[in-house]
Amino acid sequence: MMGLHFIHLFENDFYALFPELFLTCTTMLLLMFGVVWSTSKAEGYPILTHTIAWLSVWSLVCAFGLTIHSPFSVMVSFYNTFVIDELTFLLKAMVLCSATAAMLMSMEYLKTSMLNIFEYSILVLLSTISMLLLISSYDFISMYLAIEMQSLCFYVLAASKRHSEFSTEAGLKYFLLGAFSSGVLLFGCSLVYGYTGLTNFEDIAKCLAGSALFQTHHSFLHLGMGLIMIGFLFKLTAAPFHFWAPDVYEGSPTSVTAFFAITPKIALLGVFLRLLLGSFYDLLFAWQYVLFFCSICSLFIGAFGAMAQKKIKRLLVYSSIGHVGYLLIGICCGTVEGLQAVLLYLILYIFMTVNVFTIVLSCIDHSKTFRLKYIQDLGLLGQTHPVLALTFSCTLFSMAGIPPLAGFCSKFYLFFAAMGSSLYGLALFGVLSSVVSCFYYIRLIKIMYFEQPSQLVTYGAIDHEKAILLGITTTVIVFFFLCPHSLFLWTYKVAYMFLG
Amino acid sequence: MPFLSFLLLFPLVGALIIACIPSWKVRAIKIIALCISLINFVVASGLWIVFDNSTAKFQFVEHIGWLPFFNMNAYIGIDGISLFFIVLTTFLVPVCLLVGWVNISKHVKEYCLAFLILETCMLAVFCMLDLLLFYVFFESVLLPMFLIIGVWGSRARKIRAAYQFFLYTLVGSVLMLLAILLIYFQVGTTDLQVLLVSEFSERRQLLLWLAFFASFAVKVPMVPLHIWLPEAHVEAPTAGSVILAGILLKLGTYGFLRFSIPLFPEASLYFTPLIYTMSIIGIVYASLTTLRQIDLKKIIAYSSVAHMGFVTIGLFSLNVQGVEGAILLMLSHGFVASALFLCVGTLYDRTHTRLIQYYGGLVHIMPLFSFFFLVFTMGNLSLPGTSSFVGEFLILVGTFQTNTWIATLAATGMILGGAYSIWLYNRVVFGNLKPLYISMGSDVNRREFWIFVPFVLAILWMGFYPQVFLDPMHVSVSNVIQHGAYIS
Repeated sequence: MMGLHFIHLFENDFYALFPELFLTCTTMLLLMFGVVWSTSKAEGYPILTHTIAWLSVWSLVCAFGLTIHSPFSVMVSFYNTFVIDELTFLLKAMVLCSATAAMLMSMEYLKTSMLNIFEYSILVLLSTISMLLLISSYDFISMYLAIEMQSLCFYVLAASKRHSEFSTEAGLKYFLLGAFSSGVLLFGCSLVYGYTGLTNFEDIAKCLAGSALFQTHHSFLHLGMGLIMIGFLFKLTAAPFHFWAPDVYEGSPTSVTAFFAITPKIALLGVFLRLLLGSFYDLLFAWQYVLFFCSICSLFIGAFGAMAQKKIKRLLVYSSIGHVGYLLIGICCGTVEGLQAVLLYLILYIFMTVNVFTIVLSCIDHSKTFRLKYIQDLGLLGQTHPVLALTFSCTLFSMAGIPPLAGFCSKFYLFFAAMGSSLYGLALFGVLSSVVSCFYYIRLIKIMYFEQPSQLVTYGAIDHEKAILLGITTTVIVFFFLCPHSLFLWTYKVAYMFLG
Repeated sequence: MPFLSFLLLFPLVGALIIACIPSWKVRAIKIIALCISLINFVVASGLWIVFDNSTAKFQFVEHIGWLPFFNMNAYIGIDGISLFFIVLTTFLVPVCLLVGWVNISKHVKEYCLAFLILETCMLAVFCMLDLLLFYVFFESVLLPMFLIIGVWGSRARKIRAAYQFFLYTLVGSVLMLLAILLIYFQVGTTDLQVLLVSEFSERRQLLLWLAFFASFAVKVPMVPLHIWLPEAHVEAPTAGSVILAGILLKLGTYGFLRFSIPLFPEASLYFTPLIYTMSIIGIVYASLTTLRQIDLKKIIAYSSVAHMGFVTIGLFSLNVQGVEGAILLMLSHGFVASALFLCVGTLYDRTHTRLIQYYGGLVHIMPLFSFFFLVFTMGNLSLPGTSSFVGEFLILVGTFQTNTWIATLAATGMILGGAYSIWLYNRVVFGNLKPLYISMGSDVNRREFWIFVPFVLAILWMGFYPQVFLDPMHVSVSNVIQHGAYIS
C-alpha cells in the first residue's frame, strides 16, 4: 500500500528525471561489472579500462537521446526540488555532448598511459549525473548536494594518477580549495535561508520581488548572496578566485584536465544563471558590481597571465579564465540578449575547447612516451603535421575572436549585448583584452609555423575518435559564420523563455 | 545575373578544388589557381563594361540572408566608387600568382589557397553594403595576410613584421566594432543604405568617427600609426607586398570614403584639420624618410605612406575634384607601387639582396628591366602623362578650393617625391656596375616581361585618357559629396 501511495505522489516526477535515473542505473551496472570482472581470477584479472570507457560513452549517448526526447518541456518535480525547462534542456544536452567528447578524446590516453583504472569512466559518469542534477536543481539543498557530488568525483579524478607527484598534489589542492569554496557557498546559502526562511529558488524570487523598490537595507541577504556568488566564482575559476586552477589543471592527467575544462563550466554556469537571473534578479544592481569587477579581473588575468606561460596546459587555463571573464560580461547585462550571448558563447566555446584539448591529447610520439607539455614542443608542427597545425591555428584564431571564425560571432554578440545594456566600459575593456589575448594565441601559431625547435618532435598518427572529434569541431568553427541564424534563434528562444 | 556573388564565391570554390588536389601536383595547382583568378578578372572587367554610369544607385545588388532575425543581412552591390577596386583586386591576384610561379617552392598549394581566399575577402570588403559584414571581411583579410608574410617572407624578422601587422590592425579595428554596435543600437540595422538616410547626433558622430578613424588610419596608414607598414612590406614576399600596397592600403581610404564621410558629415568637417595635419606630416615625413633608407622595399613602402597622405587630403577636401582625384590616385598607386614592388622582387630573385649599396649600373646588364623601372619610377613621381599625375593634380585642385595652405604644403610632396624617386633610380640603374656583388645578372625573362606590360599600359592609359575611369565614378562621388551637403 505504501509503495503505491509513493508512486501516486510522484506521478510524473520520475519521468522528468529519466535520463539521470538511467545514467545512475548504468553507472551502477558498470561499476559492478568492472569490480567483479577485473578481480576475477578465472579470467586472469582482465584490464577493463577500455571496455568500460566505451560502454560509458554509449550510456552517455543514450542519456543524450533520452534528454532530447523528454516527454516534458517544462516541469517542476519532487516538491519543487528539480526543474525542467528550455534552459535545462539546452544545458543538459551540452553537458552530455561535451562529456561524451571528453570521454572519446581520452580513449587512447586511457589505453596507453598504463593506468588500470576503469573507475575513471565510472567517476566521469557519476560527475555527469551530478551535473545534470545540478542543472535541474531548483533548491539550495539539491543544488549544494549536486555540487558536492560533482566536486567529490573531481577530487578523485584529479588525483587518479597516483604514482605521479603532480597528480596527487593537484588532487590535494583541488580538494582543499574546493572544500573551502563549498563551505563559503554553504554559508551563503544558510545566510539566505536564515534571512528569508526559504530554500526554493522560485520562492526566494517571489520573496525578493520588488524589494529593490523599497530601498530596504538587508545586509544579511546581500552578504549571503555575495558568499554564494564567491563560491560559484571559485568553482568557475573567475579571476580573483582563480589561483587554484593553473596548478590543478596542470597537475591532473591531461584527459582529466580536458574534462575539467570542458564540462563543469556548463553546469555551474547554468545554475549560476538560474540563481542570479531568476532568484536574485531584483537585486540586479547589487550583484552586477561584483560580476563587473570579476569580469574585468578575469579578462586582465586571462590576457596577461597567459603571456608568461611556457606550458601548454597552464596557457590553456589562463585562456579559459579569460573566457570566463567574457561569459561574466554576458551575465552582467541581465537582459535577454545578455543571457543569449552567454549561451551562444558557451556553446561555441565548448566546441573550441574540445578541439584544443583533442589536439593537445593527440600530440604524442610513436612510442607513446612523450606527450605535449611545453609550448615549444609544438615547434615545426606546421611541417610535420600540416593539417593538424592548420586545424590548431584555425581554433586559436577563433578563440582570439578573429572574423570570420566562430569565436568572432560569439564575441561580437557578447559585446552587442553589453552595449545594449549600456555597459560601455566593460565592452571596451573586453575588446581591448581580446587584442592582448591575440598576442599569445598568435605566439602558438608562430611556434608551430616559424620557429626552429631545439629538438624536433614528431608525433604519431591520430586515432579515429580524435580525428572525428577534430573534424566535427573544426567544421563548426570554420563554417559557423555561413549560417549562424539557427543557433542564434534557438538561444534567443531559450533566453526569452527564461527571462521574458 | 548574380555577377557579384559569382565573383565572391568563385575563388572560394577554386580554393576548395585546389584543396582536394594532392600537394605534389604543383603545376596543376598553379595552373588551376591562375585560371580561376583570370576568369574572375574577366568577369570583373565585364562588370565595368555593363556598369551604368548615369546613376548613383548601387548596381548588381544582391541580398543574402545572414541573421535576418537581427536585421543583419549581406547586401552586396557596387557603385562607381567600388567598381574599380574590384577590377584592381581581380587584376592583382593573378599577378601575385604569376610572381610566385617559380620562386615559391615550398607550400605551393597553401600559397595558392591563401591568395584565392584573400581575393574573396578583399572583394567582399569592396562590395559589402552592410556595416557589420564589411567589418568582418575587413578583419578577415588579416588571416591570409598574416600567413603570407609569416610563411613566405624572406628573413627571420618576418615574424616580428607579421606580429606588428596583425596587432596594429586589430587594435584599431576592434574599436570600430564597438562603434558599429553603437550604430546598430541606434538605427536597428547595419544596412548601409538605411544608415545613409539616418542621422546621428553631433556628439555621437564625433565619437563614432574617431572609432572608425582608429581602424582606417592604421590601415591607410596615417603617420604616427604607420610603423607596421615598412616592416610588413620589407619582410613580405613580393606577391605579399603587391597585395599589401595594391589593395590593403586602399581598404582604409575606401572605408573613409564609403563610411566616415557620408555617415558622419558633421564629424568629417570637424575633423578635417586633423586629417590635413596628419596627412601633411605624413607626406613630408615619409618623403624625407625615404631619402635615408637603404632598403629598396622600405623606400617604396615609405613612398606609399606619402601617396596615401595625398589620398586622405583629397578625400577630405570634400569636393568632387578632390575625391575623384583621391580615388584615381588610389587606383594609380595600386598599379605603380605594385609594379615597383614587382621590380624589387625581380632584383631580389636574382641577387638575394635588397640593400641599395650593392646595386649600381644595372642598365648595362638589364636594359629591359631598366626601362620598366623607369616607367614605374616616373609614375611614382607623378610625371604628367602617367596615372599618378592626374590623381595628384585633381587632389591639389580640390584642396586648393578649400584650403590654399594645405594645397601648397602638399605640393611640396611632389618635389620631394621627385627627389627620392629619381635618386633611387640613379643609384640602382646608373653609374658603374658593381661586379663584385652582382656578378650574374640576366634581364627580365618572358614571364616577368608579360607581368610588367599590363602595368605599363594601365599607367599610361590612365595618364593619357583618365575619362574612362572618371566617368563611372562621377555620379557616385557627387552623390556622396551632396549627401553630406558640404557644398554651402
